[in-house]
Amino acid sequence: MNLNSRWGRLTRSPAFNGYALISPTALYALLLLAAPLATVIYLSFMGDGTGVHQVIHQFQLCNYVGDCNSYRTTDGTLAVAEGYKGAWSDPLYQALMLRSLGVSFLVTLATVVLAFPVAYFVSFFVAPNKKSLWLFLITIPFWTSYLVRVFLWKVILGYNGVVNSGLLSLGIISEPLTWINVNIGAIVVTLAHAYAPFAILPIFVSLEKIDRSLLEAGSDLGESALMTFWRVTLPLAMPGVVGAVLIVFIPTVGDYVTPDIIGGGKLPLIANVIQKQMLAIDNMPLGSAVAVSAMLIVGSVAGLFVLANRRFLKVKK
Amino acid sequence: MTQRPMIELKDVHKYYGDYHALRGINADIKAGEFFSLLGPSGCGKTTLLRTIAGFEDITSGVVMIDAKHMEGVPANKRPTNMVFQSYAIFPHLTVAQNVGFGLRRDPRSQAEKDKAVAEALEMVGLKGFGARAAHALSGGQRQRVALARALILKPKVLLLDEPLSALDKKLRENMQVELIKLQRQVGITFILVTHDQEEALVMSDRIAVMFEGEIAQLDDPETLYRLPKSRKVADFIGHMNFLPAAIHGEANGEIEVEVLGLGRCHISDKQAPGAVSGGEASIGFRPETLTILYEGQAATDRETTGKVEEVVYYGDMTYYDVKLDGVADPVRISMRNVPGRPVLERGASTRVAWSASALVLFR
Ligand SMILES: Nc1ncnc2c1ncn2[C@@H]1O[C@H](COP(=O)(O)OP(=O)(O)OP(=O)(O)O)[C@@H](O)[C@H]1O
Ligand SMILES: [Mg+2]
Repeated sequence: MNLNSRWGRLTRSPAFNGYALISPTALYALLLLAAPLATVIYLSFMGDGTGVHQVIHQFQLCNYVGDCNSYRTTDGTLAVAEGYKGAWSDPLYQALMLRSLGVSFLVTLATVVLAFPVAYFVSFFVAPNKKSLWLFLITIPFWTSYLVRVFLWKVILGYNGVVNSGLLSLGIISEPLTWINVNIGAIVVTLAHAYAPFAILPIFVSLEKIDRSLLEAGSDLGESALMTFWRVTLPLAMPGVVGAVLIVFIPTVGDYVTPDIIGGGKLPLIANVIQKQMLAIDNMPLGSAVAVSAMLIVGSVAGLFVLANRRFLKVKK
Repeated sequence: MTQRPMIELKDVHKYYGDYHALRGINADIKAGEFFSLLGPSGCGKTTLLRTIAGFEDITSGVVMIDAKHMEGVPANKRPTNMVFQSYAIFPHLTVAQNVGFGLRRDPRSQAEKDKAVAEALEMVGLKGFGARAAHALSGGQRQRVALARALILKPKVLLLDEPLSALDKKLRENMQVELIKLQRQVGITFILVTHDQEEALVMSDRIAVMFEGEIAQLDDPETLYRLPKSRKVADFIGHMNFLPAAIHGEANGEIEVEVLGLGRCHISDKQAPGAVSGGEASIGFRPETLTILYEGQAATDRETTGKVEEVVYYGDMTYYDVKLDGVADPVRISMRNVPGRPVLERGASTRVAWSASALVLFR
């Protein structure tokens, strides 16, 4: 075998080794991420057939804007079965999208605001040899299934739940509180709890990276602990905060389990509609169009957020 | 007129858990003085500096700055500013924002503050660097930013923790000169921590040499170099040769000693600055106080003979390790290389001139 052959030189180059190393991952990502995504985008431009999962392969924009039709195939010819409005033309989807964004915004706010003190505590007040133990403890909620945790919150916040029966038996309230169970607040609480560790970890990492002498410098230059936090610690922790916001915000827009279980189906979010269109109603093109639209909106919101914080992200420590 | 010292340290002790880091520090630092803390790694220099800055609570003792007790006064309320060893430049701010960081509560207008920042940058030789991102600076430039950021607040005391140790030799020497000039210009009390004895000698008005949490000697550079109080201090500052000696009497401020290899001589009792320890006496002398005599040259004072064991050529200087007759260990002699004076070979026999006035007695 001639080791100096072109192939030999290629296989020994660092770039080749790098690609070889990531190729299983790249392949996996391509198959399981890019391919379904492409399919969904493709479907969103097609027509809906009334048969089970039937798609009419014919390009159209009406799943997004304007009026659209489902088709029935009779004797090999297409006939209009029923009409529906495109994702951007139907006020229902706009309302649901807004509600979803609102819920995600609240969840993100609650999660990050609550996660920051925890991350700060672990980074600044826990002895270095105990930090990994603390991080380990923070991940404990992940030991149980997400569904179990959601149901637990239902038990806690439900109509006959722990909170209500507790308050009732103490005589603090005379009737069960309804505003804590089937509503946005309950969904927010449940989601915020589920995503807390995701927010704590990136903030913790960025706090860990802050050179402690910078904080001493802040105080040396005449600032109180609070002002040093505001002028030094927080700006330097922003990359972690931005990361936490994205990690919480993006998946919560797509969450459909929590609104289903906690909200009892009475407070659907955008993801519930996508699920319904895809499965129960069996209008895959419309479901896809809603999904793609939601993705674009979430992507833009996230992009704008990153853009607004770019001066913090450029900082080299 | 006796001025009140700017900083008074009275019997300062500091424990880290069980570890006794500062063991009774006593020192008065004068206003406008360039004061250095010199000592080997781990002797407590940084701890003492941080104690003055207010970053460490002391276990017992008194720290006074400008005649005020500092107990319970946090770092942000002390009239001191620090240049950190790592410089601690805020990476998310520009150079100008870094320098102006401490001016937030300054009542002056923004325009006046901007002007002050520009002046401070000019003073440290960074004119026009204000808009740069802090991370886009070299080590020397960072150090200057840290300096400007502290000096702009016109502190009573500027604390510097090994500010030059991260710089290369050439830049370090330049910055030493610049720091001295700057200190004379602004008239602020400087306290410099360093483990580089040369740096301390070059820059300071006075130096405190520390070992293991204690000040072993506090003197001006010349006294410290010429009349060290202990062999340890002598050894830490430059090179010193030691020869065993026996004391034969002391009278009228003079001490008669018999020095191995040199013979009997009289020295002034000022040449024995250290306390009597009761151990074996020895005589110390610096390499440059002995002279290698060339052929036909007469000694001005006393002379002895020896043999060159090692020659180290340094360009402007040559170091000789010379075994004096009757002494087992060689002594180091440094000679300036001048034209017409050949560098001796290894193994050459030579005459060595010395003078009793350059000896230091440790007893
Ligand atoms: N936070 C701390 N906890 C426990 N021990 C400490 C702490 N800080 C310093 N020490 C110990 O106190 C001693 C003095 O430390 P210090 O930092 O003052 O030394 P230094 O003279 O500045 O040394 P260097 O030249 O290496 O910077 C060292 O033995 C160090 O291990
Ligand atoms: Mg130190």
